[in-house]
Amino acid sequence: MSSLMLRGGRVIDPAHAASGQRRDLAVRDGLIVPAVAGESFDEEIDAEGCVVMAGGIDMHTHIGGGKVNLARMLMAEDHRDGSNPIAPPDNPLELASCGSCTPGTLATGYRYVEMGYTSAFEPAMVPSNARHAHMEMGDVPILDHGAYVMLGNDELFLQLLAEGGPQGRNFAQIRDYTAWTIGASKAMGVKVVNPGGISAFKFNQRKLDVDELHVHWQVTPRQVVHTLARALRELGVPHPLHIHGSNLGVAGNIGSTLETIAALEGLPAHLTHVQFHAYGNEGPKKFSSAAVQLAEAVNANPQISIDVGQVMFGQTVTASGDTMRQYAQSGLASPRKWVGADIECMAGCGVVPFRYREQSFVNALQWTIGLEVFLLVRNPWQVVLTTDHPNGGPFTSYPHLIRLLMDRSFRDEQLAKLHPEVAANSGLRSITRELTLDEIAILTRAAPARLLGLHDRGHLGVGAAADIAVYREDGDREAMFRTPEHVFKDGTRVARAGRVTATPVGGTHFVEPGFDPAIEQTLRRHWQAHGAIHFDHVAIGRDELCRCCNGGRLLPAACFEGAA
Amino acid sequence: MTDTPALSSADGRPWTCPYCPLACDHLDVAVGAGVQTLTLRGGVCARASAGLAQVVDHLTSAAASIDGHPCDLDGAVQAAAGVLAASRQPLFGGLGTDVAGARALYPLACATGAICEPAGGAALMHGLRALQDRGQFTTTLAEVRTRADLIVFVGGLPNDLAPLIGLRCGIGDAHVPRRRVVALGAAPEDQAVLDAWAGQGGVEVEALPLQGDLFDTLSMLAVLVGGRTLAAASPALQRLAMRLREARYAVLVGAPARLPAQGAMLVEVVHHIVGSLNRSTRAAALWIGGGNGVATVNQVFAWLSGLPLRSRRGPRGLEHEPWLFDGVRLLSEGAVDAMLWVSSFDAHAAPPSNRLPMVVLGPPRLAARCARSDGPTVFIAVATPGVGSDGHLFRTDGTVLMPLKAVFRDHLPTVADVVGRMTSALAGAGRVAA
Repeated sequence: MSSLMLRGGRVIDPAHAASGQRRDLAVRDGLIVPAVAGESFDEEIDAEGCVVMAGGIDMHTHIGGGKVNLARMLMAEDHRDGSNPIAPPDNPLELASCGSCTPGTLATGYRYVEMGYTSAFEPAMVPSNARHAHMEMGDVPILDHGAYVMLGNDELFLQLLAEGGPQGRNFAQIRDYTAWTIGASKAMGVKVVNPGGISAFKFNQRKLDVDELHVHWQVTPRQVVHTLARALRELGVPHPLHIHGSNLGVAGNIGSTLETIAALEGLPAHLTHVQFHAYGNEGPKKFSSAAVQLAEAVNANPQISIDVGQVMFGQTVTASGDTMRQYAQSGLASPRKWVGADIECMAGCGVVPFRYREQSFVNALQWTIGLEVFLLVRNPWQVVLTTDHPNGGPFTSYPHLIRLLMDRSFRDEQLAKLHPEVAANSGLRSITRELTLDEIAILTRAAPARLLGLHDRGHLGVGAAADIAVYREDGDREAMFRTPEHVFKDGTRVARAGRVTATPVGGTHFVEPGFDPAIEQTLRRHWQAHGAIHFDHVAIGRDELCRCCNGGRLLPAACFEGAA
Repeated sequence: MTDTPALSSADGRPWTCPYCPLACDHLDVAVGAGVQTLTLRGGVCARASAGLAQVVDHLTSAAASIDGHPCDLDGAVQAAAGVLAASRQPLFGGLGTDVAGARALYPLACATGAICEPAGGAALMHGLRALQDRGQFTTTLAEVRTRADLIVFVGGLPNDLAPLIGLRCGIGDAHVPRRRVVALGAAPEDQAVLDAWAGQGGVEVEALPLQGDLFDTLSMLAVLVGGRTLAAASPALQRLAMRLREARYAVLVGAPARLPAQGAMLVEVVHHIVGSLNRSTRAAALWIGGGNGVATVNQVFAWLSGLPLRSRRGPRGLEHEPWLFDGVRLLSEGAVDAMLWVSSFDAHAAPPSNRLPMVVLGPPRLAARCARSDGPTVFIAVATPGVGSDGHLFRTDGTVLMPLKAVFRDHLPTVADVVGRMTSALAGAGRVAA
C-alpha cells in the first residue's frame, strides 16, 4: 500500500472541531493517519487553494436492479444523441457505457467518481431481485455500495401483521422475519414504499391513505410503518426505517406525510424524497407548497432525517417500487410509454419517463418546494442532498444543485425563469439562507455516513477510510463541485481533474441482524405454499455475495447495542 | 475420468435446471457412477432430461481443437485471439452463457467492436421493440401461481419451450379455487395438456381457435376488451373478452419465439389489452422466453453499457440497431468477417452455416456439429453452468436471478475463464479499444 500527503488544503470536516482550517492531511495504507512532521510519503500534493472533503456519499440513488435495467431498456433514446451514437470514451480505462438519466453501471461509477463521490446506496432492492441488484452494484466501478431491501408490501408481512391484530401479538415473529430478510438479501437497511399500497394495488385498490384499510389484509399503512420502524429499532440496525410515504405526488399529501411521522410515535426514521410528499392543495390550482409544514415537523422531531429528491428541469425517467402511484401518473409519461410490474407477492415497480419543464406551474413549484425544504430545515445533520436519481433528475446535476443552495443570487436568477405565478409568489424568494461549505459537506457526506452507521466514512478524522475529494476553490460552486482536482478511494487516486485514473472494485456494505432461527420454519412453509423459488435459494450467502459483487470487499456493519 | 465426484445435493442447496426459461429448482439430478450419466429426479421434464442427456464426461478427448486437430487450451486461446484480431467486423453470436460469461464477453466485445446478437435474436427483439416503443405491464410466476383467476395462453401453449409451465403457473394449486385456463390459437397437441390440467380439479380449460390469424384475433380481442362492440367477432371471442373484464387478475401468457415476423406488433397488442383491463380490474402479461442465457446476456449488457443486445461499440460510440444488427442478415450479406459463437447450455445449437473464421465455445458434443472444411474453426469446450459449473441465470419473468450449481466436476473452463484469457491475449497483441 502507499502513502500520501495533502499539504495546505482547507479541510472541511464538519464531524470534527476546527473544520475549515488549513492543515495537512496524511494517508497511509488507505486510512487517514496523524500528520507527523518529518515523515516521508510516496506522494505529496500541494492542496493550497483547495478545499478537502471526505468522498461524497449518495444514500438514495437508483443505480442498480430490475427496475433500473427496465428503465435503461425503455429509454433507448437516452443512449443516443439524436440519430447519432454517443461519442465513445477517450480514456482507455473506461469501457463504453452511456446514458444520462439511465446510465449503464459503468458510466454510473465513472460519473460519480469524477464529481468526488465514493459511495452510493440503491434504495429499493426487491428481496426476490436481490442477487440481480448486487450484480449490478458490483458492476458499478470504484464506488462502495449497499442497498435497502423493500418490506411492508410482501404478502407474508401483511398476513403476519393481520394475524397479530392491533396489539401486535406476534411482533417478535415479524421482527425476526425482518431481520432474516435483511440478512438473506444482504441489505443495509429496510425501505417501505407506499406502505401496504403496492400490495393493495394487486387487489385493485387505487389509493391507500395512512389510516385506510388494505382491502384484503385489513391493516393500515400506519400499522405497517410503526411495526417496521419498531422492528429495526429493536434489531439495532444502524439505518432506521427508510420511508417512501403514502400518496406520492398527490396534491395535499402533506397531511399523510405528517400522519406518517406521527405513526412513528417518536421512533427514528428517514423520510425519503420528501419533496414529492410536501404538497398542499391551496390556491387556484389546488396545488401549493407545504415545505414550511414539513420543515416544522422535521425541526420538531430530531429523530427524523430526510432526503429531498430535488427536481431538476429536463428529461428524466421516474423509477419506483410504487406501482399504485406510478400507475396513477402513467398518463403524464413523456415520451408516452411506461413499464409496470407486479413482483413475486413481494413488491412491484413502475417506470415512467418524465420531462420537468420550467414553464409548468406544477414542475416549477416542485423545484421551489425542494429548495425550500433544504433551506428551512435548521439542522443540516437531518438532511441529505439527493435528486432521488433519476426520479427528480440525474445525479450529474448535483453540482448545479449545490450552487442553488450556496448562492442566493444565482437561485433567484433561476427562479425568475420559471412559470410566472411561481416566480412571483414562491416563498423561496424571501429565503436568504446560503448553505456554507460545512453544511454542504454535512448534506453530502457526514450526515449520510452517520445515518447509515458508517463510522469510518464521511469524515477525515484519524482512522477514517481515505475516501477524499479535493476541490479547487471557485466562486462558481457548480464548476467547483463538477470537477474536483483529485479523488481518492481508500487512498488510491481514482480521478484527476475529471478523468478516471483507476477503476478498483468497490465494496459492499450490509448488516446481518440476529434473529430466532425458528422463524425459518414459518418461512419455509410460506415459500413452499406461495413462492416460485425453493426456500433454500432465497438467502444469499457471503461467498455468493462476493461473486455477485465482482470480488469487492465485504463491509459488514455492526448493529448497535440495546437490540432486543 | 476417475475424479468426477458427484456434487448434487452434497451441499444441501437445490439444483436449478438451466435448460429452459423457467429455471425450475424443485427437481434434482442423480449422478451415475463410472461413465457419467445424469438422470433427472423428483419429476418429469422433457427439456431437462434432453439437456442432461447431452452431457458427457469423456474428456480424455481434447477439450480444444483447431480445425479439428486437438490442441491445448493456451494454443486455442491464442488462435481464437488471432481470429478476432484479424477481423475488422466480428459477430458474437449465440451468446448462450450466464452472468459471469456475459460480464467477460462485454470487454471483449468492446475491444473488438463486435456486433452482439443472441441465438433467437428475432424473438428477443419482439419483446424489446414493444418495450422500447410502448412499455409493458408484466407479472411473475409467484403472482400468477397465487393470484391469477384467468390465464390466457396467447398463440397456444408454450409447453415445448417450457414443459412445466402449467405447474409453475399454479394450475392445479388450491390458491385460486376456480381458475380458468384458455389456450387461444391452440395447436391440436395442446388439447391433451389442457385435459390433464382439467383433471387436476378447480380448473376449467378451454381451447379457442383463432379468428383469422393471430394479428386479427388479438386486434378484435383488444377492441372488445376496450368495451366496444364488434359484430364480426365470434361468440367465443366475445365471451373471452367478457371473462377478461370480469376476472380479478387475468394473465396473458405468450412466447415471443412462437410469434411470426413483426411479432413486436403482437406483443404490443397484448400489452394494450392488459392496459385496457387495468383501468377497471387487474391484469398483466407474462412472456416465456430468453432461455439458454439469452435474456441473461441481454440484461448484463444492458446494465453495463446502457444498451441491450443487437449493439456494438463502434468507432463513433455505442450503437443499438434492432434491425441492422440481425445476425442472420449480417452473415448472408457478408457484413461480418469473423464469428465468435457461444453456446454453453445447448450442445445442439450449432452456429449458422458460414465460411468465416470462427471461434466456438460450447459443450464438448458441440465440437462435432462445428466440423467443416470451408473455414478455419477454433473450438474450445466449456462447462455448462448448472451442470459443470456454478453460475447465475435469469428466469423468464426477468426479476429472479437464479443461482446455478454444478452437479459434477467436468474440469472444463467456464466461458468467463476462456473469454477473459482471450481478452488478455488480444490486449497483449496490442489490439485494444481505440
